[in-house]
Amino acid sequence: MTMIGLEIHCQLTNLQSKLFCTCKANYREFKINENICPVCMGLPGSLPRLNQEAVKKATMIAMALNCSTPEKIAFFRKNYFYPDSPKNFQITQLNIYGDTSVGGTGSIMVGDKKIKITRIQLEEDPGRLIYEGSSSKNQITLVDYNRAGTPLVEIVTEPDFENPKQVRDFLNILSDLLANLGVADPSLEGAMRADANVSIKGGKKVEIKNIGSFHDLEKAVHFEITRQESLHSRDIEIIQETRHWDDQRKITVSSRSKEEELDYRYFLEGDIPWIRIDSDVHQKLKSEMPESISSKKKRYISKYNIPPQVADVLSSDKFYSDMFEKAHTESNAKEVANIITTELMGLVDTREKRIASKLTFTHLKELADSIQSGKVSRSSSKNALHEILKTGKDLSVIIAELDLGNVSDESELSEIITHVISEESQAVEQAKSNPQTINYLVGKVMQKTKGKADPTLTLNLLKKQIGIS
Amino acid sequence: MNLKISALEYIQEVQNGNISAEDFVAKTLERIQSIDEKLHAFLSVNDKAVEQARQIDKKIKSGDKVGECFGMPISIKDNMCIKDNKTTCASKMLKDFVAPYDATVISKLKQQDAIFVGKANMDEFAMGLTTEFSAFGPSSNPWNTDYVPGGSSGGSAASVSAFECVASLGSDTGGSVRNPASFCSVVGYKPTYGLISRYGLISYANSIEQIGPLTRTVKDTAFMLNLISGLDPNDNTTINNQDQDYLLGIDLGIEGKKIGIIKEMLGDGTSAEVRSATKDAISKMEGLGAICEEVSLDMVKYSVAAYYTITATEAGSNLARYDNLRYGYDFSVEGYEFNSYISKARQMFGPEVKRRMIIGGFVPSAGQAGKYFLKALKVKNKLTREISETFKKFDLLIAPTVPILPFKKGEKIDDPVALFQVDINTVTANLTGRPAISVPFAMSNGLPIGMQLIADSNQDKLLLQAAHALEQTVTLPEVPI
Amino acid sequence: MVTSEEIERVSKLMKIDVQDHKEYVDKVHSMIDFFDVLDSAGVGSEEISMQEISISDLRKDEHIAFDGKLIEKLNHYKGTYVRAPKMSS
Repeated sequence: MTMIGLEIHCQLTNLQSKLFCTCKANYREFKINENICPVCMGLPGSLPRLNQEAVKKATMIAMALNCSTPEKIAFFRKNYFYPDSPKNFQITQLNIYGDTSVGGTGSIMVGDKKIKITRIQLEEDPGRLIYEGSSSKNQITLVDYNRAGTPLVEIVTEPDFENPKQVRDFLNILSDLLANLGVADPSLEGAMRADANVSIKGGKKVEIKNIGSFHDLEKAVHFEITRQESLHSRDIEIIQETRHWDDQRKITVSSRSKEEELDYRYFLEGDIPWIRIDSDVHQKLKSEMPESISSKKKRYISKYNIPPQVADVLSSDKFYSDMFEKAHTESNAKEVANIITTELMGLVDTREKRIASKLTFTHLKELADSIQSGKVSRSSSKNALHEILKTGKDLSVIIAELDLGNVSDESELSEIITHVISEESQAVEQAKSNPQTINYLVGKVMQKTKGKADPTLTLNLLKKQIGIS
Repeated sequence: MNLKISALEYIQEVQNGNISAEDFVAKTLERIQSIDEKLHAFLSVNDKAVEQARQIDKKIKSGDKVGECFGMPISIKDNMCIKDNKTTCASKMLKDFVAPYDATVISKLKQQDAIFVGKANMDEFAMGLTTEFSAFGPSSNPWNTDYVPGGSSGGSAASVSAFECVASLGSDTGGSVRNPASFCSVVGYKPTYGLISRYGLISYANSIEQIGPLTRTVKDTAFMLNLISGLDPNDNTTINNQDQDYLLGIDLGIEGKKIGIIKEMLGDGTSAEVRSATKDAISKMEGLGAICEEVSLDMVKYSVAAYYTITATEAGSNLARYDNLRYGYDFSVEGYEFNSYISKARQMFGPEVKRRMIIGGFVPSAGQAGKYFLKALKVKNKLTREISETFKKFDLLIAPTVPILPFKKGEKIDDPVALFQVDINTVTANLTGRPAISVPFAMSNGLPIGMQLIADSNQDKLLLQAAHALEQTVTLPEVPI
Repeated sequence: MVTSEEIERVSKLMKIDVQDHKEYVDKVHSMIDFFDVLDSAGVGSEEISMQEISISDLRKDEHIAFDGKLIEKLNHYKGTYVRAPKMSS
């Protein structure tokens, strides 16, 4: 039986500052080594200053994953030498003196499967390395410390996953959950990373590190399972080890044990006292927590009668649910949901498109109202939406400019209908005997009005003029 | 011009217009010029000091607001960062390191118009008891230059004792302010843990060390404490001392106070002269109305082993950052592989630092932590409980600062374990976070003996009152240098 | 007893080159031997504790950039990468 466990690292990019200093948490806009200070560079004499909001956000994540949240948390040093780590130790969390990391055991459902969480911890990200020079002898390692000190939440799961698909589903659910909490933006490059551990048939556990993306994670896990099964079938021993994912060759490779039983000499971080999180702080955090995805979904279905599939899409993406929450009214909720999940979705499927979009919830509300009142037809609304996203102009302005307004003036429509009837006498006769075929005539009216005729009104007027009910 | 005045006297003189800051600072620099070759208390001297003093005189004359120090010349142990100045920790590893920011204590003193007359010599990275482990040569004791000034803040103590400055800031991890203060006959103070910000103090053992003033009088120490103590957002371990005024009521005396004489700090290793000085101190305290009684702190027996285990572990981690990649000395990475470069670069550490690093890697390591490091933490805990209990019955504790007299240079440097034992009376205050002070008390054949008082956490004010009272009971000779 | 091999292992761990082995082993040996006294302290049941502060005492989350170009004050790096030796593997 295959057992897969995950260690997910999530950057708290929605914070303003790093975990232990006031440099910016989201380092991506800076030039090399320009988002640094004595603290995150570990200069002699510098001391860490813990970010209050980071502790709160991490606690919220723990709560959202149903984890226990201790009253006191502590920080530890993990000692190892690496150029991306300015102090040559990482300040992180452990549970060696009781439960002292920001989240204890918890769980989350992935479909029918319960995935247990081992713990949640708060720690600092190291800097970034790139390599200069190809010749092995003359290669230099280049280090950019802009990322050093960025707040990370590490989520460790029990080895409860049975196959790569469960892993993928879990990661999707987790990304949506974290985005919904407003603590991170998983779509940012490098904002979420994961390592995995794999064992088959209850055998030795193999760790896989250096996996660049969630996409690669699924591949890596799949490869590793295959590798282990192949070894097993040939009666070859599976060694307990750490392997790294080779992105070029798409395989896992044994990490040379230059790591030599790395001894991290863990001990309490003397520069950060234990942090007491009183129950009233816990209560406040609980009450401030955004509504969960599953709760939103239930509410959309029961309160607004939105179909489950639609509610699913709407609730799991924060961008959509935020739009929905602000744009909907009692009467147009279903329509707003519909617009978002059919027409809007295709137009804002990337981060860049969402940032560039000029659509506001007012636009959305007005659009939904207009469709419901018949001012604009559904097909016209597509064009309107396009234009709004691009220009941000008022809906009424766009309707006028693009001439998208429905023809809903009765007399105008009646005239057009009279015309059509006179031109399509055969179809009219058919419609009299077989009322279903009236749609052909409706279509003709639509053609004449370039799709702007109010469909309901058209149908009624046609029937009246032809003399059927 | 008389340099042999206290800080408070200096300030009085300047305020009264009897002396100018510029004259005093100039005279101080002359003094340094003439005697520091013998003492080597300084690693570097501030050549802009006189100009800076001149500016302060201008401020005084024009009636502008002047800081409380009035241009007082202060020496700073070379493990505290002064912006745009070299901060070496007396190590070749940092010989070219120029700090890009000010330590909090430095900012505070700058704001109060103090003048930093130079950086004081120390044991490399504060690891030592004699200042003999400085990579740039030892300092000498002003009372007899064949003798050690104590350590690790030896340069600080020597400079204050020899009138090369009016006061100094040192750091005390296991006695590094009190020990040299005792050896050089000056006042040395280690505050309650968290009272003074460590931001800008280059870490050796961050869970127990504190910056502490070295001064000629106890009142001067109280004055310095007023300027540099208090909550600092840059240091999460600082505590709120409610803006205490440590000078206020300092001569209230010790009538009725209960003082415990720590039995384990007057053990077999105590020299006869130190023992008799202690007896004398006790009777003087009783003469002032205190009630003195012997008390036992059992864990003191294990305190030195616990101390060195814990500090080696923390030092091993705190000094890991010195890999010469981001700052340090000239040594190119071209052609090297990571591990070999780092090991080679770190050869610049002196032998004592290297030994502590090895120990610091050993005692918390996966196989050994239970036997050494964790036990040491538990001893620290038990000792803290013991001393808390003791302070329920006593207001203060007394013991000699060092169980032996100052010794000659080179005498103990080859026997690390023998050197450890010199700390036996001082590490307890660090391990338990309690404030402690060494007050100059006696002389034996021209060699100073200091007396130590310890108080409960946040009782720094009481401690200074008692120290002041004790100080007033003796008159000591002038330093011969 | 601290063996030469253990000193070797720890010196690699701490990136401290140990040149004159014998002297080191002897001195380090005697220092660690001295720590054996901890065994008789009888502290098995002690807990580890530390200073404590409230979450409300912690720093507010705001971006305040360091005043000045820090990288230029360290080892002559002028707005570029820090150079490190090549990593093995």
